Amino acid sequence: MPINYKTGIINEHKNVRNHSGIFDVSHMGQILIENNKTYLHKLEKYIPLQLKKLIKNRSHYSFLLNKDGGVIDDLIISNIDIKDKSYLYIVYNASRKKEDEEIFISCAPNAEKIYNKNCLFAIQGPDSINVLKNIIDIPNNMNFFDILISKYDSNEIIVSRSGYTGEDGFELSIPNESAENLITDLLKNENTMLCGLGSRDSLRLEAGLSLYGHELNENITPIEAGLSWALDKERLEDKNLNGNKILSDQLKNKLSNNKIGLISTNKSMLRDGMTLFDNNNNEIGKITSGCFSPNLNKSIAIGYIKSEFNTDNPIFCEIRKKLELVKINNLPFVKKNYKKNGSVYE
Amino acid sequence: MSEKKYTKDHEWVSIENEIATIGISNHAQESLGDIVFIELPSVGNSVKAKDEICVVESVKAASDIYAPIDGEIIEVNKNLENDAAIINQDAENEGWIFKMKISDSNQYSELMSEDEYKQFLEQ
Repeated sequence: MPINYKTGIINEHKNVRNHSGIFDVSHMGQILIENNKTYLHKLEKYIPLQLKKLIKNRSHYSFLLNKDGGVIDDLIISNIDIKDKSYLYIVYNASRKKEDEEIFISCAPNAEKIYNKNCLFAIQGPDSINVLKNIIDIPNNMNFFDILISKYDSNEIIVSRSGYTGEDGFELSIPNESAENLITDLLKNENTMLCGLGSRDSLRLEAGLSLYGHELNENITPIEAGLSWALDKERLEDKNLNGNKILSDQLKNKLSNNKIGLISTNKSMLRDGMTLFDNNNNEIGKITSGCFSPNLNKSIAIGYIKSEFNTDNPIFCEIRKKLELVKINNLPFVKKNYKKNGSVYE
Repeated sequence: MSEKKYTKDHEWVSIENEIATIGISNHAQESLGDIVFIELPSVGNSVKAKDEICVVESVKAASDIYAPIDGEIIEVNKNLENDAAIINQDAENEGWIFKMKISDSNQYSELMSEDEYKQFLEQ
């Protein structure tokens, strides 16, 4: 996947917000794990969900946790039937394949990696449904994070209503031999276009979504990353879950750092790794992701800041040895536009 | 105006009456992608060849611009303050970045011609 195609990051970004765009995310990990009690029990050591109770044809945002509750990876986990057999279908980060698969295989030795035989495409944006519906059968009542098996070219494909841009959209896991035909079919719609990693990053950042290696790593727990909503609270009482004690303590106590959104007050660009200061030149935090926001026409960033810092006070970001004033901005920067309950959009 | 010359850092220079006009090459503009901001140099500064004198920010990355030759900055392209994307549209004309009064024209003759720059890009 390139950083961008011919028309550039900003144009791709805007096309997704206003119409739709197609991302080839085939580099990501995809694995099928048999829905078997022994396997699920073993996986529950790492995944903070009640895996035995996952609703069929639904997806969940979750994590693999290490023994300290730190995030080994963030992932999407779904319960689906393929050819009358029940599976967990997990999509995970390309950069974490090695670590994740070690865990998956240790829990379920016959887990089947499918990313070598299936491509993964994300079509994102408010028009995604119109681009897709003439090509693939999509039921009217399909909501965000619903997942089902559909057909294309007489092949079974996995269709989920999901994505990582803050827009309505779909992810399609499709056998390699049909992938080119599908892309050709999708691109017949003249309002859609191929989009690259650059716009994928600016879209997810505007939507306030975390990215592994930036907001998330093995030394940060989901609670510290502001993602406690994704944890099953009952599982935090379960000793079988890695880091359960640390996590339940964190839920009750004040964190040492808070995740925040920042927006530039001038035209300077906020970037990953830049340091934040208070007006007495004390270091108070760091930026973990930054980019130019095409929707806000300013640079935006996500970072962590010491919780003892009073955010009513000015914050400065060091940019090329100069301190620039930045402002706190609630996350997300751009409102999410997911499809829920029939035709109602949030 | 004299022949346009290029540096290995992808700046272009043209000279008229000992005044050099400098910008980034079309190739540089293409590889940077959408340019959103430029920090222009300060007028009146004396600089040496290879000094970092200003920064172009694209959606992908920040990129330093170096002085191609010794001299004094005498003018900057103010239009870029409001619309840095002019560089994407016309890097080697309307997208000029600054002008310098040069002190050593030999430095200019040592830069690459357009053909030499093309060959340099192919390497």
